[in-house]
Amino acid sequence: MNQGMAKVEPAEREASGSREHEVQLIARARGGDRIALRALVDLHKDRLFAFIWRMVRDHHEAEDICQDAFLKAFASFESFSSEYRFSTWLFTIGYRVCLNRLRRKRPYSGELAIADMTSAAEETPSATLESEDAGRVRKSVWSAVDRLSPPQRATILLFYRSELGCQEIARILQLPLATVKSHLHRARARLRELLEALPDQDWSYFRNLSERVG
Amino acid sequence: MRCEEAQNLFDAYLDGELSPSLATELGAHRVRCPECRRALALLEVSGHIISSDRDPVSVPHDFPDRLLACVDVREHGWLARVRRSLYVAGPLAAAAVIALAFLGFFDRGRDSRVAGVKVEPTSIVETGDPQSQTLSPIDREAAERAIDQWISQMQQNRTAKTEARPTLPQAHDLTILQILEMLKDANKGGPKLRHFPGANINDLLPGAPEDDPPAEDDEVEDL
Repeated sequence: MNQGMAKVEPAEREASGSREHEVQLIARARGGDRIALRALVDLHKDRLFAFIWRMVRDHHEAEDICQDAFLKAFASFESFSSEYRFSTWLFTIGYRVCLNRLRRKRPYSGELAIADMTSAAEETPSATLESEDAGRVRKSVWSAVDRLSPPQRATILLFYRSELGCQEIARILQLPLATVKSHLHRARARLRELLEALPDQDWSYFRNLSERVG
Repeated sequence: MRCEEAQNLFDAYLDGELSPSLATELGAHRVRCPECRRALALLEVSGHIISSDRDPVSVPHDFPDRLLACVDVREHGWLARVRRSLYVAGPLAAAAVIALAFLGFFDRGRDSRVAGVKVEPTSIVETGDPQSQTLSPIDREAAERAIDQWISQMQQNRTAKTEARPTLPQAHDLTILQILEMLKDANKGGPKLRHFPGANINDLLPGAPEDDPPAEDDEVEDL
């Protein structure tokens, strides 16, 4: 849980192993070592795919974008600066591909069409919240996330789901730190605005859960 | 603390960047104000759901294999770039070496011939026996003449080919009446046109055979 807690620096909890290990893998992958390439894919594919799927909400398109991002990364290894983590660079490429696809798919409106939204409750049947109310709340929250603009959605997903700090998010989105903080602030305000329209029954569930969460 | 002040602190509170004293003030306001309590609860629970919900989809298990197959097809960028560089740079380098060799050769000959100054032959390669590496002025002139002849022969060949190539009249250069006139006299022999059984293709070609009556051609031109 993120609320009320200091953000842990990503380097400290990087799941893909030590920094040195990653540097070695990249050096080998640059030389065409297939085992190193495979290791890099295995290390980052799940997190990248999850992020991209939450951005585009289409399984096949997410897979396509994910593959495109990896191929672009492998094709431009020489432009990778070792002062950044590979995952940051990979997410940057993935996010740019996502944005291009979303812009091509529909004129940029800042929001997804209602028809594009899928039922988050049906997608996550066995998550932590189990009651019917919980399902409705979860569906409302994810629907609200889907209605954020792509940069706001990316910021929220990277902040909460990937548990990245604002500095790291700024590197991935290639935006100034202040802009990222602004996206986060506006995204929360928009979520509030969308969720405040919930019926009282759902709101009471929110209040009870908040007391447990807090 | 008023509601507006409290709500300005929400982001810092959620990001864990609020000082302990301000956090206490915000907590006190939260207890008193149902509106702010509700707003903060919405944000806290939303954050909780976003961060903890399990992803309903996962990347296919054969994704790495398919990805690496694509890598094989496209090749790694650095390798492709090196190969592309070789494709371009290799022939360029070879051409440059040959050009430099010829230029050096001609320059040496020109100096001794045109400037009227006797130039001592210098060795092509610094090391080795100079006498065995150089050409005498007589050899040089003979080689230059041979190359000049070869170049002029090539130019003559090209000119001859261009002149010998027949050119068909373009449809847009002819009027309908001109075409009809040409087809009218086309039954006098030669290959038949596919779509005009009575037409002779020779009539459509410039420089028609001598036995064809030139009068009609003149008439056509008059039209």
